[in-house]
Amino acid sequence: MDASLLTIQPNAPEPIYRQIVEQLRRLIASGQLVAGELLPSVRDVAGFHAINPMTVSRAYGMAETEGLLERLRGKGMAVAATRKPVQSESQRMALLETQLQELARHANELELPAEPVLRRLAKLLGD
Amino acid sequence: MNAVLQETAKASVSPLSAQGLMHGFDGTKVLDGVNLALTPGSVLGLIGRNGAGKSTLIRALLGLLEPQGGRALVFDEPALKLSDDAKARIAYVPQQPEALAWLTVQQMLDFVGRFYPHWDAEFIRLTLERWKIQPKRLLAKLSPGERQRVDLLRALASQPELLVLDEPAAALDPVARRELLREIALRAGEAGTTVLFSTHIVSDLERVASEVAFLHEGKLLLHCDVDDTKERYGRLWLPAKMSAAAPAQSLSRRRNEDGSLSLVVQRDAHGQWPEAATLTGARVDALGLEDLFVEIAE
Repeated sequence: MDASLLTIQPNAPEPIYRQIVEQLRRLIASGQLVAGELLPSVRDVAGFHAINPMTVSRAYGMAETEGLLERLRGKGMAVAATRKPVQSESQRMALLETQLQELARHANELELPAEPVLRRLAKLLGD
Repeated sequence: MNAVLQETAKASVSPLSAQGLMHGFDGTKVLDGVNLALTPGSVLGLIGRNGAGKSTLIRALLGLLEPQGGRALVFDEPALKLSDDAKARIAYVPQQPEALAWLTVQQMLDFVGRFYPHWDAEFIRLTLERWKIQPKRLLAKLSPGERQRVDLLRALASQPELLVLDEPAAALDPVARRELLREIALRAGEAGTTVLFSTHIVSDLERVASEVAFLHEGKLLLHCDVDDTKERYGRLWLPAKMSAAAPAQSLSRRRNEDGSLSLVVQRDAHGQWPEAATLTGARVDALGLEDLFVEIAE
């Protein structure tokens, strides 16, 4: 994993260490980070984002306590071996199929063109 | 005392502290009883409005100005009578560096370097090159941004135990500013350097500071941990008809045009907001440091 994968918003009300833990949680759940994958060192993350190394250590420590990460001797932090992505993307998409069909039906009933609906959806998805 | 004990005693000494600092100009109080103690290895960001007295406070803390009341200590020595040993352990960058302007960049750095036991000439060479500043130029001919960078370089090259920066980002462009913040963050995290910097750019502070203090009306408000501050304080909004339920204790209180109330409140020891926050119709919003500062300074 590269330090640039994290997004830091210093002026958000949420403390930076929480932002990091939250992003690690998501990246692991979505399978973008896989079990055993090494994390960038505290120095790399702190240097790349110009943030205090203590903040990064705190985030890693918290993620370790939660079982998201584990410390590998001599190698640093890695995604915990027990962590598996929820399923493959297509499997997770399948879980949404009913709601998507429902949404499409409602949109058709309201005679809405696809474009504004997709635009709104993209926004909701945080795109 | 054996060596281990001596080390422990040295580590627990606050690099910079003050009790009851008072100062004023022309009958106006600028510092009105400031107390402060920096934790070794911490990065304290000092925020305040323009003219709040940040520079005066910094100068009084370092003994560059004799306060009208109170006292400041640097590594446990009176700031006004610092030994050479203590001076070699600190570096200070003023807001507008002016000293030795008749020298070239290299002459100034060579001259100053002789006073410091841990001077890092290689760091200077590499950084000047990266910043594209010609060592042969006269300091007086540099732009304010370049002048400030050379002075920051001078401060960092001495590998100080205590680094004090007065509005270090004021004349820097965003790229140079980010680079400076990175340097501050890594020095504090790795070399254990204690840093005090003043700024009015709150997001700079939020990146690297471990602690924050607000200088407001001559006093230091809320000197605490940055993460803790963000989690502990919030803005409570109460509709007009519920304003009687407002808690008596709040950091700031503002009545909005529609009669509703906005208050800055804090969680108690159990992490709970004041009781009024649980009423139907009340709302608590998280506050970033900038919002918190604006609410309190208004």
